[in-house]
Amino acid sequence: MLSANAIEKLIVLLGRQNVLHEKEDLITFGYDATPEIQYLPDVIVFPTESEHVVEIVNFAREEGLPIVPRGSGTGLSGGSVAARGGIILCLTRLNRILEIDEENLTATAQAGVVTLDFFDAVMAKGLFYPPDPGSQKISTLGGNIAEDAGGLRGLKYGVTRDYVMALNGVLGDGLTFTTGGKSVKDVAGYALKDLLVGSEGTLGIITEATFSLIPPPQAKRTLLAYFKDTRTAGEAVASIIAAKIIPSTLEIMDNATIRCVEGYANIGLPLEMAALLLIEVDGHHASVVEEADDVRAVLERVGAAEIHEATDAEHANQLAAARRTALSALARVSPTTLLEDATVPRSRLAETFDEIERLSEKFQLKVGTFGHAGDGNLHPTVLCDERNRDEMERAHAFYHELYDKVLAWGGTVSGEHGIGLAKKDYLERQIGASGVNVMRRIKHSFDPHGVLNPGKIFNDEVTEEKRG
Amino acid sequence: MAEKLCLGNFPLADEPNYEGMLQCMRCGFCLPTCPTYVLTGRERSSPRGRVALAKAVADDQIDFTGALKEESFFCLDCRACSTSCPSGVHAGQVMEACRNQANEAFPLTGAVRKFREFVLQRMLPSPDLLETSMLPARLYQKLGIQWLIRHSQILKLGPEWMEKAEGMMPELHPPLRPQLPEVVPAEGEPRGRVAFFLGCIMTLMYPEVSRQTVKVLTSQGFEVITPKEQKCCGAPHLNEGDRETTRSLARHNLDLFMELEVDAIVTDCAGCGAALKEYEELLEESGERDKLELFHKRIKDISEFLAEQGLRTDSLKSVEKVVTYHEPCHLCHAQGVSKQPRDLIKAIPGIDFRELNEASWCCGSAATFSLKYTGESRQILDRKLENIQATGAELLVTANPGCHLQLAWGLKQAGMPQEVVHITELLGMATG
Repeated sequence: MLSANAIEKLIVLLGRQNVLHEKEDLITFGYDATPEIQYLPDVIVFPTESEHVVEIVNFAREEGLPIVPRGSGTGLSGGSVAARGGIILCLTRLNRILEIDEENLTATAQAGVVTLDFFDAVMAKGLFYPPDPGSQKISTLGGNIAEDAGGLRGLKYGVTRDYVMALNGVLGDGLTFTTGGKSVKDVAGYALKDLLVGSEGTLGIITEATFSLIPPPQAKRTLLAYFKDTRTAGEAVASIIAAKIIPSTLEIMDNATIRCVEGYANIGLPLEMAALLLIEVDGHHASVVEEADDVRAVLERVGAAEIHEATDAEHANQLAAARRTALSALARVSPTTLLEDATVPRSRLAETFDEIERLSEKFQLKVGTFGHAGDGNLHPTVLCDERNRDEMERAHAFYHELYDKVLAWGGTVSGEHGIGLAKKDYLERQIGASGVNVMRRIKHSFDPHGVLNPGKIFNDEVTEEKRG
Repeated sequence: MAEKLCLGNFPLADEPNYEGMLQCMRCGFCLPTCPTYVLTGRERSSPRGRVALAKAVADDQIDFTGALKEESFFCLDCRACSTSCPSGVHAGQVMEACRNQANEAFPLTGAVRKFREFVLQRMLPSPDLLETSMLPARLYQKLGIQWLIRHSQILKLGPEWMEKAEGMMPELHPPLRPQLPEVVPAEGEPRGRVAFFLGCIMTLMYPEVSRQTVKVLTSQGFEVITPKEQKCCGAPHLNEGDRETTRSLARHNLDLFMELEVDAIVTDCAGCGAALKEYEELLEESGERDKLELFHKRIKDISEFLAEQGLRTDSLKSVEKVVTYHEPCHLCHAQGVSKQPRDLIKAIPGIDFRELNEASWCCGSAATFSLKYTGESRQILDRKLENIQATGAELLVTANPGCHLQLAWGLKQAGMPQEVVHITELLGMATG
């Protein structure tokens, strides 16, 4: 509990409407989209100017409170939850697009700008910002940077990191920083911005970012392929990649996901099929026609049960929008949806599907799998009920064993959701104690007092001493 | 005391459904669709936040506090979140159930309570009493506006509600219900027989609109039966959190309309239609599943019905107007009727239809919300007016009396030229 005096200080600094501390606010800022995670912060603050952030950081240091930066709270690893109480620094009111620079093909925006709003604003100027995470309608750019968010277009266009050119923000000791710029090339010293991207709010608070933009593709074609078994779908993905075709989107949904998504979106998905692939190729008109034909040929060769093409742009958008709802739609059939973010080299995709099937039988679980197949990034989702302890234990055992294989194949425990609170143990399995130690040293040099989002990604020394 | 039977810290049985709240996986897809979240940026004023709060009450984490009461009434119940929710959560319904709880947790006292009970339990359920005493023009004299002002906290009205309520009042005609024959025969080749559910606000404030509805139906070949004994659909009661009276009204209307041999029960009020379609859930415990299911199937909004039956366009006259369409929340979000009205409008010869940006965004009327939260309602309305302006339309078509009142008032205040018409008025113009 913060003293009334301390709250009053924040109110003087930020204005009454930008400081929330009632119990009902603490509860509703106590979660993100990660299941089983809920912690109450002491206070929620909304800076409306970048300068406020410095003062909030100084206030936190004086009061000895941790700071957890937060956008819209759509994260999937608990990154924006105040696991040790303290201050939720909500950046949604720093939401101005500051510049769209058509000479340099860049745009600069504050951290709280909603991803899709940014996309629309640059598109209005004939420019394209490709990263499109599932929650783009509400997620913020700051959150996307902190989690290095991916999306449906990752395969061809890469992820958030690939578009960040410069960052401004505040460190844990109140120091402001600027890293990067509009120069296309920049090897002046360490690439600090690359450390900050994906740092999950543990190294610095990002207040402003400059992104590189590209011209939008002129044409696009969308194919849907249905499969009678998931393994063949996995093989199709590997074969498309092996044929040296890079679609902009190559997404997979298994039968459970198809049923849930169709239940919500009603767009005529095949309820009886084991899996479907949503494939988009884009680029110049001529090359798009060629690539679409090549993809079709591969699909036929591998043995897709049916191949369809989107009738028009609206239909194509419907399909992509429907795919974005996959996770939330799976929540229709069970109270709890526990999902993971396993990513494997693409040649291992078919085997990964086999393994998921084997393990869901072994642990007697209902699993829906979807994901960015072209990236080798799958989201096997256990459909369970958090009130059923036994089932939850089996669900965690399922992931534990799945990750054994994923790591043995050279995969990663998180493709795009981050480690946060939910996957700390898995991280150490992947990069080892020495890897975690290097990260700790980096954290210490950015945030010597350990006030920024402590306890995320890895346990800090303090908790380890306590444990020991 | 049967208190301990309540779920968690809810003060009353009839709690929001727990499984329904658990269904929320907190993805946040609802946030950008929620007018109160967009207005405040405050998580507790979002569908996700509201469900989380109700769940916290159910889980014994918090009491049913004043903030819960506030949120349950601040929710517009526009259902935009239901449309956007892939998981099938209905935050609006959760908040409706919480309004009921709020009345138990924070009981009104004395004259305030008596007045509320009089309005909700005596006046609204009785069509005669409503027509004689609630006719808004007479409300002024009969109930005494001074008295109302003094007791304006009854319905928790905002400070500027009076001026606004007065400004919103349309030109009043005698109520339609006593004038409308019980049976109006079909014209031309007969296509069927429908019952007409005539809403309270329609008969009192928009009798001319519902007259057009009947005219359009009969000219389209349908015999129209309007049972005189029908009562309020119960939406205002559900809205104010009086679930018991809602159930007894539902019971009455269900039995009355199911005795008629009709192909459909048609309404021209989106609010009524949404409430009637919820009888199935409201009366679930009565065990009459088949009857309720059939009733639900028969309830049709006028646009839904005409689009389904196919509009006879051979005799329609040309209407040379630039037209846009505002979607009532209780039509598009609560009933999923969105394409049909547009198809009907476009089927009228001569119409130049312009799509309205954010057509399904609430207008800020939301039953008594517009009077309780005048400031917030105004901000939501302004966003709508800007979008209307951009269409360059001459006519703004809608299909719900609440939206109609709010939009007409807003347009007049802003000095904008658009005239608001109900979709059946537009069809009426074409019918001649």
